Amino acid sequence: MRIKPLLFILVLSLCVSCRNTTNNSAQFVFPEADSIPVSEALKLSPEAIADISRNITSPVEIANLLQKLEVPFSQSYLASTIDANRQSTNFDKALKLGILGADLGYLNIYERTGSSLEILSSIRKLSEDIKVGQFFDFETIKTLSQNNSNLDSLLSLSINSYTRIDEYLRSNDRGHLSALMIIGVWIEAQYLATQVVSQYPDKVLSDRIAEQKIILNDLLLLLMPYCNRDNDFTALCRSLQEIKEKYRDVKITYSQGDPVSVEKNGGLSIIQTEKSFVEMTESQLEEIVNITKSVRNRLILNE
Amino acid sequence: MKRSLISLVLVLAALNLASAQDNSKLLSSCLTQTGADSKYLKDFRIQLGTAADPGAPRYKAQMSLWKNTKYRFTMCNSDNSKGKLILTITDAADKVVLSSYDSKTGKYYPFVDFECNRSGIYTLSYDFLNGQKGSGVGIVSMVR
Repeated sequence: MRIKPLLFILVLSLCVSCRNTTNNSAQFVFPEADSIPVSEALKLSPEAIADISRNITSPVEIANLLQKLEVPFSQSYLASTIDANRQSTNFDKALKLGILGADLGYLNIYERTGSSLEILSSIRKLSEDIKVGQFFDFETIKTLSQNNSNLDSLLSLSINSYTRIDEYLRSNDRGHLSALMIIGVWIEAQYLATQVVSQYPDKVLSDRIAEQKIILNDLLLLLMPYCNRDNDFTALCRSLQEIKEKYRDVKITYSQGDPVSVEKNGGLSIIQTEKSFVEMTESQLEEIVNITKSVRNRLILNE
Repeated sequence: MKRSLISLVLVLAALNLASAQDNSKLLSSCLTQTGADSKYLKDFRIQLGTAADPGAPRYKAQMSLWKNTKYRFTMCNSDNSKGKLILTITDAADKVVLSSYDSKTGKYYPFVDFECNRSGIYTLSYDFLNGQKGSGVGIVSMVR
């Protein structure tokens, strides 16, 4: 008879558990008419949550865009005031784990790997504090960073560590921490993009900022089940709602077209002729820049 | 009975560990095939048995793709795969945007470069050709 619990635990550890965790509290109300219905948020499947997690713009993509635009690297964009030893709650730890993850992506793309060691050490402390340190291969990442080795391997290891942490948290009834980490990643990448566009105005970059409207609803959807969990979550939900409000009049339109493909070097090369267009005024962009700065700075100072 | 159950569990655990190691090796090897002109963005690790009814792709994931970005989708199979890993991408309206397999000519492409001009959330669908059994890795990278 004693074999059953042992078998159960071991088999369970071999399977990928996909339990959804939702706090059924629904006192937080989104004020807009186009807000997400509570019922929709609460019935999100684990697969839908996983998809939302994957849809969030990668900070690596933003950093790559900045590099393509020849924007010089700046340490001033980083959340260097975060002290991993001074984060007292799991809320702060998970959120800052996300923020520092975005900074790590920025440093890696600009190959400032020497500077990333301090951030890596903070990431290690925060992830160990919330019991997910086992998913971060710090020693290998550190070695790759110090040696300025293969960038792809470094990016792959770093990004996959975050993906595994996210999956683990979601499948172990700690979806609220996963949501915080993802929001931390997004807000820091958004901060980076908006700070750069203020200094180096560029249509491609401002369009990318405007098009975050596409995934902003998903972000809110991810956070919504936890909005009434405690005061920290409620404040974060309100902050994201403030950002969403600034996006209300930003318009994205589309034109139709069929893709054009040609064979090239043994592969296929496809150009999409469908296009998306952004309509955003200077003042709308300025408001988005300001609200992003205000929310992000509030979050990193929340110690 | 007890001994055989423990053995079964240990064998399963060993197989699971071996599979994870194989996937990591395959990823490392596949990373070398994405080209020096690209930067890693994401990977998908696919392991599928033989499909009972080959048809719609079985592994699906969503991903946001952004305009003014050229993505490279690279597909790699493990040595013991029966079929080749193929990728089809559809947009929010379920319209096929690209496929690494041309059903008219039967041609398979190990990588596809995609110049995205419409930002949005896309569905990446992976399967092995004709619903065959296999394991593989799909890497998404950004072309510089």
